[in-house]
Amino acid sequence: MSLTCAAPGLAEVPGGRPAPRRERKRRAREGVIMAASERGSSAISASRQYAPYVEADWGFKNTWYPALFSHELGDNSVKGVAMAGHDIALRRSGGKVYALRDRCAHRGVKMSLRPMCLTADTLSCWYHGFTYGLDDGVLKTIVASPDDPLIGKVRIRTYPVTERAGIIFVFVGDEDFAPLPPLEADLPIRITDDANAVAHILDENVYVRGIHRTGNSNWRLAAENGFDPGHLLIHWDNQIVAATDRKLGLGVEPIGEGAIKIIDEPDGPKGIMNMYNTRAYKFIMENKAVNMRARGKNSYYARTSIVLPGILLVEHWPSPGWAQYEWYVPTDDRHHEYWEILVGRCRNEDERREADYLYDNFFEPLALRDFNDNDLFAREAMQDFYARGDGWNRESLCAFDAATITWRKVAARFNRGIQEPPPIA
Amino acid sequence: MPPQATSTPPPPAVADACRVTLRFEDGVEKEIEVGTDEFVLDAALRQGVPLVHQCRSGSCSTCVGRMVSGTLEMVRDRALSLIASEIAEGQRLLCSSHARAPSVVRLHYPSALIYAEERRNFEARVAAVEWPAPSVAKLAIALERRAGFSFHAGQYVRIKVPGTDQWRSYSMCSTPRDLPQVEFLVRIIPGGAMSEYLGAARAGERLEVDGPLGAFILHPGRGLHVFVAGGTGLAPILAMIDELRRARGPRPKMLLSFGCASDKTFFYRDEIELRQWWIPQLGVRLSADRVEDAAADLIQGTPVDALGADTISDPDAAAYLCGPPPMVEAARRRLAELGVSPERIYAERFVAS
Repeated sequence: MSLTCAAPGLAEVPGGRPAPRRERKRRAREGVIMAASERGSSAISASRQYAPYVEADWGFKNTWYPALFSHELGDNSVKGVAMAGHDIALRRSGGKVYALRDRCAHRGVKMSLRPMCLTADTLSCWYHGFTYGLDDGVLKTIVASPDDPLIGKVRIRTYPVTERAGIIFVFVGDEDFAPLPPLEADLPIRITDDANAVAHILDENVYVRGIHRTGNSNWRLAAENGFDPGHLLIHWDNQIVAATDRKLGLGVEPIGEGAIKIIDEPDGPKGIMNMYNTRAYKFIMENKAVNMRARGKNSYYARTSIVLPGILLVEHWPSPGWAQYEWYVPTDDRHHEYWEILVGRCRNEDERREADYLYDNFFEPLALRDFNDNDLFAREAMQDFYARGDGWNRESLCAFDAATITWRKVAARFNRGIQEPPPIA
Repeated sequence: MPPQATSTPPPPAVADACRVTLRFEDGVEKEIEVGTDEFVLDAALRQGVPLVHQCRSGSCSTCVGRMVSGTLEMVRDRALSLIASEIAEGQRLLCSSHARAPSVVRLHYPSALIYAEERRNFEARVAAVEWPAPSVAKLAIALERRAGFSFHAGQYVRIKVPGTDQWRSYSMCSTPRDLPQVEFLVRIIPGGAMSEYLGAARAGERLEVDGPLGAFILHPGRGLHVFVAGGTGLAPILAMIDELRRARGPRPKMLLSFGCASDKTFFYRDEIELRQWWIPQLGVRLSADRVEDAAADLIQGTPVDALGADTISDPDAAAYLCGPPPMVEAARRRLAELGVSPERIYAERFVAS
């Protein structure tokens, strides 16, 4: 794990004196853009500093996204998913998963609407029987026109697929993108600075279970909610907090250098980490102005981080030794698929049975459902302001939003491309 | 136009005409007959082969092509904008060249560029005028949404200065993605027609625009992209860099060397720093011919000096140059020394007016 220190990253206050040369170099290195008034008269607004992020209504492309849990796609079955505007048909055959564009070249219907598999190595369109090879998307035959000159000439595009830890991941983006980054580059970092480090999803002997559901907001509003240090307020009275007597705080405020670290692994994950385990963050336990006080006695080490294309890691949540991962897979520009999974260690069947018990009776109902329902509610409540009201330019961010701004800048810099809206919207 | 009657015999070949093959970047070839007293450009247009051009008098360099074989002679009674070394390399202004032997000319743009786009007049309105530096204005105009204007990053238009009958040429510094808004960088010259106009321009005023023009566009290639820009020559270069940011597939490495006359007139450092952040593949060298304040953090010298002595080891490197003619010429020489193939050095030069 390589973490480099970042300045909190909010735009400098206009009207200051020109920064000294060394300071300028530092800022250029760390991506802190100086206020326009330091030099010329052209104004660079805060949102312009991460303009590529604001452009990414349909998400980032050329990245691995989770499409389905493995158990959701039985052998010989076909399912359609939409990710970053790409309609993709998934078919499992002989245990292997294939992904093809879910639009028949003939008349453009989605093949997943009424799956038809006539051989082990093809997918057929239910309408006129255009039949495509699973591995190359080439038209192999047309059921009703076996000598058609189109055969062998027409094709639909395919997508790279990998299946790990019980999840089917698809590489969504440009068909000719090369070289293909490893899945590890699009997953949370491996924790190495904690004696009781949580497991990584690709470790041996991991326990991975979770859910996914549709969120009615743009993917960025979801991504910005999970690691937001100020949003603990929506959780202060949640069942899991009361039941475990957890000391959660009303919010967390960055107060020093090193509060937010940039994750910049060579050829690996890029993102930011909230260093809640250091003194650079102050937990707000009380606000006298409204006579409000956080409850709870049990305080655990916990930390949040987010990496591209928008994957949250919460260490030691919902219970010490466990990690929660979240994805906010853009479906279109107004919806995301909200993935919540828990990652723990399990070396044998006994431990797996215990983990299942905890998952079924504690983690899913109290954490993934009750606790995260509040997050989903908050994201959906922001949607109008950002979609119709140009919220990216009208929001009024405060001190703890430094983490959000730093994430936006990192995402603006390290993404592998911005998804264009699909031609068929 | 109705189709030509098929019975009409083809026009007889012009006496003493020379056959000239026009080879476009995308591999398309067109053959034309060029009469003794005819210029290559005129012959091409007469025979229905459109070529990128503008002034038709040898001054704008838009119509430049590279003679691969044969003999193309440029006239001597015009002030031509090619310099001796470029002519020695085989470059010719087709608007001012006669064919003296069967020849092959390579054009540095695809045939699709001219067949896909129609140059015509568009109406626009002033959207905003900003002043990045006292001597530089950024003019933003809005075209009619449905006018159908489109262009390639790097191209330019002519704008009629309101209240006069004078036209001025400016490269777009915005990208086609930003349409219907189009932006330009205008160097302010005391007494200049556009300069005077911009000093008093108001949002909403009407403008007449002619374009798009020029063949200074990005060429396919994954090698290092070197950009050298002087002053407002930064405009088409910024458009190209922004275009590459959003292009498909992994981005090429890029190096931008940008310079102004002095640290006092240096502009757009913040815009360049933004791109440095957005594009991890982009290296930047900033310079000024005169640096009075050491804290300005600029290399003293021209953007060509600032390229430094490092040989460009990438055999697939391409270079894009835009600035005053002496800068373009110096950059061309320097980049060739540094190892960039002269065939992959593309330039747009401009003269302030």
